Amino acid sequence: MARVFFAWELGGDLGHARRVLAVAHGLRALGHETAFAFRDLTALGASDASLEGFAAPWLAQPALPNASPLNASEILLNRGFGDGQGLAGALRAWRGLFDLWKPDLLVADFAPGALLAARAAGLKRIALGSGFSTPPARDPMPALRSWTAIEDGALRTLDTRLLTGVRDAFARLEKTDAAPASAAELFRAEGELLCTWPEIDPFGPREADYVGPQDDAGDGAREAWRGERRPRILAYLKPRDQRFAAVVGAIGAVAGEGIVAAPGLPAPHAQSLSTATVRVLGGPVALAPLLAGADLCVCHSGPGTVAHALAAGVPLALLPQQLEQYLVGRRVVTSGCGVMVAPDAPAPEFDAWLAQALAQPSLRAAATASPLVGRKPESAAAWIAARLAQ
Amino acid sequence: MARIAFAWELGGEYGHVMSCAGLAGGLDAHGHRIAFMFRELRQLAMIPEARAYDVFQAPRSMREGEGMELPAGYADIMLGCGFARPAEAAGMVGAWRSLFRRWQPDLVIADFAPTALLAARSLNLARVTYGNGFFLPPRTAPLPPFRFDAPVDLARLAQSEAAVLASANAALARFGAAPLARLADLFDGDDDFLCTFPELDHYGTRETSGYWGPRVRFDRGTEVTWPQGTGKRIFVYVKTNLPQLDALLDVLVRSPHRIVAYIPGLDAERRRRLADRRRIVVDRPVKLERFLRECDLLISHGGEISAGALTYGVPSLVFPTHYEQFATARRLEQLGAGGWLPPNAQHAQVAHAFTQVTTDPRYAANARTFAQRYPAFSPNEQRRRIVARIEALLRDRGAILPTTPTPTGKPR
Repeated sequence: MARVFFAWELGGDLGHARRVLAVAHGLRALGHETAFAFRDLTALGASDASLEGFAAPWLAQPALPNASPLNASEILLNRGFGDGQGLAGALRAWRGLFDLWKPDLLVADFAPGALLAARAAGLKRIALGSGFSTPPARDPMPALRSWTAIEDGALRTLDTRLLTGVRDAFARLEKTDAAPASAAELFRAEGELLCTWPEIDPFGPREADYVGPQDDAGDGAREAWRGERRPRILAYLKPRDQRFAAVVGAIGAVAGEGIVAAPGLPAPHAQSLSTATVRVLGGPVALAPLLAGADLCVCHSGPGTVAHALAAGVPLALLPQQLEQYLVGRRVVTSGCGVMVAPDAPAPEFDAWLAQALAQPSLRAAATASPLVGRKPESAAAWIAARLAQ
Repeated sequence: MARIAFAWELGGEYGHVMSCAGLAGGLDAHGHRIAFMFRELRQLAMIPEARAYDVFQAPRSMREGEGMELPAGYADIMLGCGFARPAEAAGMVGAWRSLFRRWQPDLVIADFAPTALLAARSLNLARVTYGNGFFLPPRTAPLPPFRFDAPVDLARLAQSEAAVLASANAALARFGAAPLARLADLFDGDDDFLCTFPELDHYGTRETSGYWGPRVRFDRGTEVTWPQGTGKRIFVYVKTNLPQLDALLDVLVRSPHRIVAYIPGLDAERRRRLADRRRIVVDRPVKLERFLRECDLLISHGGEISAGALTYGVPSLVFPTHYEQFATARRLEQLGAGGWLPPNAQHAQVAHAFTQVTTDPRYAANARTFAQRYPAFSPNEQRRRIVARIEALLRDRGAILPTTPTPTGKPR
């Protein structure tokens, strides 16, 4: 059986950790051994104590990152990958972990440093993600905001800056021969596995292996709709979002029955926000049983929640917080299955916004006719195991 | 030979890396295997000798300092670095344990590394602390506050300590280890290398079995000779983000003194302002061994170098940038061997303080008096003794074999 090392290096959301832990669990069930290097160790501290976890190497960020990166290369520049000296230190530490644990395979979930170190070490790599962290590897690396005009020259400049830093790091490690020859090569791996669907891939459909979301829509507290009053609104929101209180209030004003899952919200606070028609819960809830009877799903446009809602034929009202979610949301809006408020847009009157979404029959029609209705995810663990057997 | 892991978890800059590298060099020369488990890895480029060592990332919190007020004690620092959230603290302890279980050190040397100490404790590994007074509080319950510039809310600090202790004990329980009775027990180990002098101890003089003197290196860097002339010889070692950098340069340029300045990354325009036959701007760390003997004043942020300069009888003007340096500055002030400037000091204050330390002979006299108390202090000898002590510990633990006595007769 094989030794599979999982790395999560960038991206703030715990979605990366959840996905990785779920996939690793599947691989262990197939008899493989697993270990983890995570950027944030909280999820490991809350999991089974027998899991073997390490800290992912950190890079110092530049003093003035660009808040609106143009392409994936600039995201990496923002995270310190343009600094050859710093990157060389991080690559040494990745190499240290590989030497220590001796994996047969690296599975990288938004872990470009780990991918580079594995390249230098000749270790087989699979890139895993929901699309955004595994951008199409092209020259130049594609613009993240396709709706604004950006010259290829500007993108190439960023690619070159990134590549220069990375090649400097490889030179410092005396691994010049293994250094990538283009920015696109940084993002390539021997296998690429997209835990989303082509219909909601933030970069649009592409030649890749899609297996769908890996979180289980049945995980979390089991809740049920209590009455027959319509419309039923299911919301999955972060309580620290500035719009949270206003959205919960609007759900109370518009919904016949509402359920708001807000993981991290302290229980007394959740209780105080709850009303006769709206239940606010401070922890994760199982999506599948609630989506089955819902009329509208309100969320931040995370690819997992969106995929689960569309699989159940439920239209979406989306409040993305960042670019990745916004790109997923654009795909949903284009397909006619949802409405969206952009992260930098002024907050609308949420009562009216939700009421309008519920009043649009075309939204419901598009959602029930979505090609994603009833689509079942495949096991990423099984896919990886098959690769290992090759 | 033994396997020795250096754990550096909190703090920043170069001091930890350079100090660990100095001690590691001594251990490496005796054939021990070294691993650096460091908070920051960028500085490794400064120590080419570490190429032969294993290197790992030290676990660290994603949310350092988030929602925290200014720390008043060690527990506040830990609370702001992962221990406010039991799951995060458990994850960090777990990650240290993973490193230790796989790399299998015979000894962990903890440089400002409380979580590493917890993990080492849970695995019953030999461990020592290594650092200045700020990194090793006196073992009292509760731990004493380190702030003395403002009143400390002791009840709030006690709450911090209770929360940190709860997180630490939850993590220990998760891994089947016995709980700490008090947070201070976290520092229990095989020895403390408390690297400062009692007069410079950040917590004030404490009851302890010994002080080892500051962690400084004088034997590395570029040889620099002082410019010719008659003015005082002033060594300036500050960073470009010093808010009073221009005020300081202005004061230096107007003075008749001889200046050697090491200001990493200083821009061309400011270099031009400094340019003069009495002033040298260097681009690399200065080898201090002989250089400091002729130095009349050190201008710095108050890191270990100011303690080192004091052993040469050199007084200081300090621009502290964080609390550890501020505490050092205040200790220098108490000794009468230095002045310091607050972060919001104006041009006139800088000029005034500079005039004071360069004209009042008491600063130099007090610094010399201090140096005469420790005439035998030598960083190299300090490291040699620490290496010897570590090897004695390792022999006691059976991690290295006792030295075979040379047979009588002709030496081989």
